[in-house]
Amino acid sequence: MRNSEIAISVQNVTKFYGKLKALDDVNFEVRRGDFFAFLGPNGAGKTTTINVITGLSNYRAGQVEVFGHNTIIEYPQSRRLLGLCAQEFNFDPFVTLHQLLVYQAGYFGIRPGAAAKRADELLERFQLTEKRNVKHRALSGGMKKRLLICRALIHDPEILILDEPTAGCDLELKFLIWDYLTQLNKEGKTIFLTTHYMEEAERLCRTIGIINHGRIVRIGNKQEVLKDKSLEAVFLEVTGTHEGGNIK
Amino acid sequence: MINNPVGVLSLSKREILRFFSVSTQTIFPPILISTLFMYIFGVAIGSRIDFSGTGLSYLGFIVPGLMTMHLITSSYENTSSSLFIARWHNHIQEVLLSPLSYFEMVLGLLAGGVARGTIVCVGVFLISLLFTPTTVYNPFLLIYFILTISVIFACAGMMGALWAEDFGMLNVWNTYVIFPLVLMGGVFHPIDMLPEIVQIISRFNPMVYLVTGIRYSMTGVTHMSIPLCMGVALALALILFYTTVYLFKIGYKLRT
Repeated sequence: MRNSEIAISVQNVTKFYGKLKALDDVNFEVRRGDFFAFLGPNGAGKTTTINVITGLSNYRAGQVEVFGHNTIIEYPQSRRLLGLCAQEFNFDPFVTLHQLLVYQAGYFGIRPGAAAKRADELLERFQLTEKRNVKHRALSGGMKKRLLICRALIHDPEILILDEPTAGCDLELKFLIWDYLTQLNKEGKTIFLTTHYMEEAERLCRTIGIINHGRIVRIGNKQEVLKDKSLEAVFLEVTGTHEGGNIK
Repeated sequence: MINNPVGVLSLSKREILRFFSVSTQTIFPPILISTLFMYIFGVAIGSRIDFSGTGLSYLGFIVPGLMTMHLITSSYENTSSSLFIARWHNHIQEVLLSPLSYFEMVLGLLAGGVARGTIVCVGVFLISLLFTPTTVYNPFLLIYFILTISVIFACAGMMGALWAEDFGMLNVWNTYVIFPLVLMGGVFHPIDMLPEIVQIISRFNPMVYLVTGIRYSMTGVTHMSIPLCMGVALALALILFYTTVYLFKIGYKLRT
């Protein structure tokens, strides 16, 4: 890791989908060890930003670095440092949970013995041991969420990116995820979280960025951003939205 | 070129075990079809065909052709279906998010196509022993052609899987391009039996060189230059492999 202080650096990134400008000159940095909340209304550019950071999206202008590694030129190095817990359940349907995690670890260069051990630890941590030999279709929605997190963590990444990890989760699972993320952050992992739950961001994160119409409209540490207001109030103020859409 | 051998092996293993887990759909059907072809065309009809001019029995002639045909279709079908399903379910992201280089990704994915094509090809050869005393004239050359041909069509399968938007499109190349070219490439007939104009056109059909290469490796009989066949096979393998790597690099239908 070249620059040990800046975990993610997004510089002047512009991204189009056809004629639609999804990201408009986006700039921000996430410091090492931070717990960063990335908020915005639906369609604001949160997932696109994640895809740009992880290399799942091309972009027209700007550059992205992960611990100093350019994500286009030095993509193997940058991807090794990232773990992504995506929004959708995109698992290989032909393999069991344990095989899925072992293969995923293998892609990161982890040998089968160590990969199997790590897979078992994560399955146990997320209460999926009983399901280790079934395919993901046999899981409930909450279990699939947990499996997404296990997959993101299988190679012990320095940065964990979570795209709405608690959406649709019951309270028990939500607390399990929150506890685990807090613990990981205390261990030094950088966490980048998108969520629509303001209390989640307020409770877990130290830094908050808000994106709207592809532009960063507010960013800073939690105290700077909130200034004695609730996060919900700040969010509504800077995005001009209420639940259900724009009111501008 | 390979910085992450464990990653490549892991991806290769997944691809190979995937088709083994559905072997009743992936391995046995082409072997069964070849058995029927050998019996009907080779034994029942072939015994009535005067093929003495070629130096081979008709059955001896079509066995290498059938091996090549199923090597081609199995290699193609494996990578095309595997990659297309991975795109369809979006679990291709498991690979795209990994630190595998694009070269390594393609290498790992094509391993399944090469393995399946080779297994089916060897299976057809073994079945042929029930009908005729098939020999291998030059085993090293046979391995060369099996590897290059399976790489060509495993890569073609990946390109087809990237291009296709639905399952219908996935079969377009196989049905309308590859299979007709293979059949016209001399699987069941010597090219010099065709009208002169068709023979000239056939020189532009790459399958002719591939079928001839396998047939020569098996029988030692040929009317074409074998170095030319080897060159065509290698050139196509390299061109298709690096084109596939390039498509992964630019993220063609893989990245938004």
